[in-house]
Parts: sequence; C-alpha cells; structure tokens
Amino acid sequence: MRVFLEIALRSFRRQMTYRAAALAGLATNFFFGLLRAAVLVALYGEHSEVAGISLQSAVTFTGLSQAAIAPLSMFHWYDVMRSVYSGEVASDLLKPMSYFRFWLVQDFGRAAASFIWRSLTIMAGYAVMFDLTYPHNIEQWAVLGLAMLLSWLVSFSWRFLINLAAFWTPNAIGLNRLFFILSWFLSGFLMPLRYFPDWFVRLCYLTPFPHMVNSLVEIYLGVLTGHEVFQTLLLQAVWAVCLTLCSQLVLRLGVRRLVILGG
Amino acid sequence: MSSTLDIYRRLLLLQFRSQMQYRMSFLFYILNTALITTFEFGSLVLVMQRFENIGGWRLGEVAFLYSIVKAVFSLMDMIFSGFDPPYFGRNVRLGTFDQLLLRPVNITVQVLGSRFELHRLGNIILGLVIFVFAMQLTDIQWTWIKLLYLPLVFLGQICFFGGLFILGSTITFWTVDSIETVNIFTYGGSEMIAYPMHIYHQWMRLFFTFIVPAIFLNYYPALYILDKPDLFNMPPFVFFLAPIVGFISLTAASAFWRFGIKHYQSTGT
Repeated sequence: MRVFLEIALRSFRRQMTYRAAALAGLATNFFFGLLRAAVLVALYGEHSEVAGISLQSAVTFTGLSQAAIAPLSMFHWYDVMRSVYSGEVASDLLKPMSYFRFWLVQDFGRAAASFIWRSLTIMAGYAVMFDLTYPHNIEQWAVLGLAMLLSWLVSFSWRFLINLAAFWTPNAIGLNRLFFILSWFLSGFLMPLRYFPDWFVRLCYLTPFPHMVNSLVEIYLGVLTGHEVFQTLLLQAVWAVCLTLCSQLVLRLGVRRLVILGG
Repeated sequence: MSSTLDIYRRLLLLQFRSQMQYRMSFLFYILNTALITTFEFGSLVLVMQRFENIGGWRLGEVAFLYSIVKAVFSLMDMIFSGFDPPYFGRNVRLGTFDQLLLRPVNITVQVLGSRFELHRLGNIILGLVIFVFAMQLTDIQWTWIKLLYLPLVFLGQICFFGGLFILGSTITFWTVDSIETVNIFTYGGSEMIAYPMHIYHQWMRLFFTFIVPAIFLNYYPALYILDKPDLFNMPPFVFFLAPIVGFISLTAASAFWRFGIKHYQSTGT
C-alpha cells in the first residue's frame, strides 16, 4: 500500500512540474470552451430550455467537458503501449506488484494533478465569465465527488484495456486513436447526449463511454431524479468493474505472448 | 527555378512512396482523420433536429461554412505539413534542421518537401462531401462572379493558415520548443470560422476582424455567396478581402521566415 502511495505521489509531482505546458494546454482548452459555448448559445437562440437543460446549464456543460479533457486524458494516452514497445514492460512486470495497480495509481496521481491544474482553473475562469449552474446542496456535491471518481475509474480501465493491443500488433496506436475519437462522440463530450434522438442515446448507453462524461455532467447539472442518480452511479460502478476484469484477463493473455529481446 | 521545382517534385515523390509502404496503417490514418470530422459534423446534424437554427443560419448554410474550412484547412495542412510548428520545433531541437541548411538547395523547398501528410486526404474528401450536402440543402443563386470568387476564397484560406504555420515555426528558432498557443490561432481559428462569426462575443469578433482578420476568410465570402445580409454594415468591398488577407499574411510570414533564417543560431545538438 505504501509503495502505491509513493508512486501516486511521484506521478502527481511529475505532472505538477511541467507548468509551461500546463498553461499552454489550459489556454487552448479555455479558448475551445468559449467557442463551444458560443455555438450552444447560438443554437438556443430564443429557447430558454431544451431537453431539460437550461441555457445556463448548457454553457456550464462546455466548461465541464473542457475540464474533463486533462484528468480523463480524453485526447490520447499511450503510456502502457509505449512501455510495451520500448521493453520497459519487462522490468515493470518483474516488480513484486500488480501491473494493473501499478498503472492505476500512477494514473491517479496524474489525474489528481491535472484536476487541480486544469479542471479547477478552467471552471474558475468560467465562473468569472459566465453565470454557471452549481450543485444545490452538500449531498449533490458528495454524489458528484463519487461520480468523478467512478468516471476516472471507467476511463482508466478502458484506456488500459485498449493500450494492451500493443501486445498483439505493432500498429496499436491507429486502433487506439480510433477508440479515442469514438469516445468523444459517444461519451457526450461533444454535445450533451440529451440533445440527441432517443434511439441514438440508447445506442450510446450500450457502451461504457457515457459513463465517462455524460453521467458526470448530468449529475453535476442536477437533471437526474434521486432514483436516476443512484442508477447512474451503479452503472458507472458496474462498467468500472467489468472493464477492470476484462483488462486483467487480456493482460494475462498478452503477457503469455510477450517475448522480450535482450540487448 | 525549374531545378528547384524538380527537387520539390522528387521530394514529394519520395514522401508518397514511403507513406505507401505501410498501406494498412495509412488507411487507418485516413479513416481516423475523417472520423473526427464525421463525428463533429454528425453531432451538429443530430442536434440541429432539436434546434432549428444556429444564430439564424440553417443547417445547409452552416454546412457551407463548415465544409469549406474543413477541406481547405486539411489541404493546407497537407501542403505545409513541414511547417507544422510542433514538428518543425522538434527538428530545430534535434538539430536535423541544421542538416537541411547545409545542403545547397532552397531551404523553404526542403522544409516543404520534408513532410507531406497524405492522410489528410480523408478530411479533404469528407469536406467536399459535406460541401455537396450543403449544396443540396441551400439554393444558391450562382453568378459568374461567385463561381470565379470561390476558388480565390480557398486560396486565401490556404495562404492565411500556411502563413500562420510558417510564423509558428519561425518562432521556434528562438523558443526552441514549439509554443502550444500557436494552436489557438491555427486549429482554434479554423474551428472558429467554421461557424457564423456573429455568434461570438463582441470582443472576440472585433479581435478577429481588426487584429487577426480571419472574419474575411470565410464568413464574409459566405455572406456574399449565400446572399445573406451583413449584420455589421461593413463596406461592400470586405466581401472580397479573402485572397488579399491570405496574400498579405503569407508574404509577411515569409519575410519573417527569411529574417529568422538569417539570424538562426543552432541549438548545438
């Protein structure tokens, strides 16, 4: 346990070191957020509420989704893949700890740091510029905290799983990129899923993707009833467990194929 | 001059051949770049079923704006990929740019020929498909002037963003690392002009009218071609500024690039 804590802390500190890069990333996220907010405001036009989402909440959504990019590594994350290709995976597997957990805590440290650097700052900037929607009471904040943790878990176990493709093919990056692009659309990152036709939303919810962004957004905006909130959290947890088990299995198969060349 | 062109042609041929070596990975790449646009535009189409218009513009009209930028920006991205600031910055950092300087061939041609991202074709074709879709939805009164002006608009956008790429690359002579903020103007700028400009905050619009005149690249030409009223009452000649803005920005960037080369001090790696 102690070891994992140290790994997470190191990963957190490493992330905190690259301040210039974080600042540039922050500016880009923020600028794109403003563009997306403008598009949504223009779409609303005269309407004050569409599909149960008020204009204010729609603007808040653009901030939330931009804030989710860094901690959930929405654009790319090829760390495990790189360690397989470079051969580092061999020494990591020799360490007396679970390979999955080794990456899990590293990613937790990274996510925690980018949450502070990127997410909170984006939301603070948004709060200055716009009238935002906030959770109403302490319970909603608590549920939000839990949902964030689960979102990250779903996201991490999914990213870990698709990275494992590196054990089979030297071209895993193309396949991974495809999955990432798919996730922007199906997770409700580009637009809240509620705006889409019902058949499409149902299709999305057959995949784990909505549980990374859309669920989180809906809980934050308070558009779900008490019963629905519980159901959403449960589904997030189920997906997190499923993906974790899946990646354990695939990892075992992958390690069996692994051949490390000396030198 | 003709020998320089010949060298450019040969460098490109080399690029084609090397990229075609890995056909599967190339196809994957084409598919991926096209998918980003498909999903982005797809979500707009799906959302538009619920909202009738975006700032008073119907789907077909927005698709017109959107498709032109997507196709043209990708074409620019292909031609100027050697000047893509992060890529170029890496070459400065690693010293591979110094190797190019040692060769007795025009440096600009060498940089242009050093990279030619063919997989952008996916996005170019998709942009054209969306353009055809936009033609179906809108009913444009084509005149000779509009038909002749449209290619000039494309050219203006290519020159403008190409100029930004060159500018961003030249800055890395001093900063060494590519500054990510350049992305706000290149990728951010192209994303921004894909939508009608009157939907943005006033300060943002004024900035992109008078400081970085991106509003004339796509929005004003579209107003003219789609016969839409100008909400800001600008003098009528601004409809035709796209090629001029492009020309000026490319010329200015080239001058800066030549200045940069003259004062270039290697990183020593």
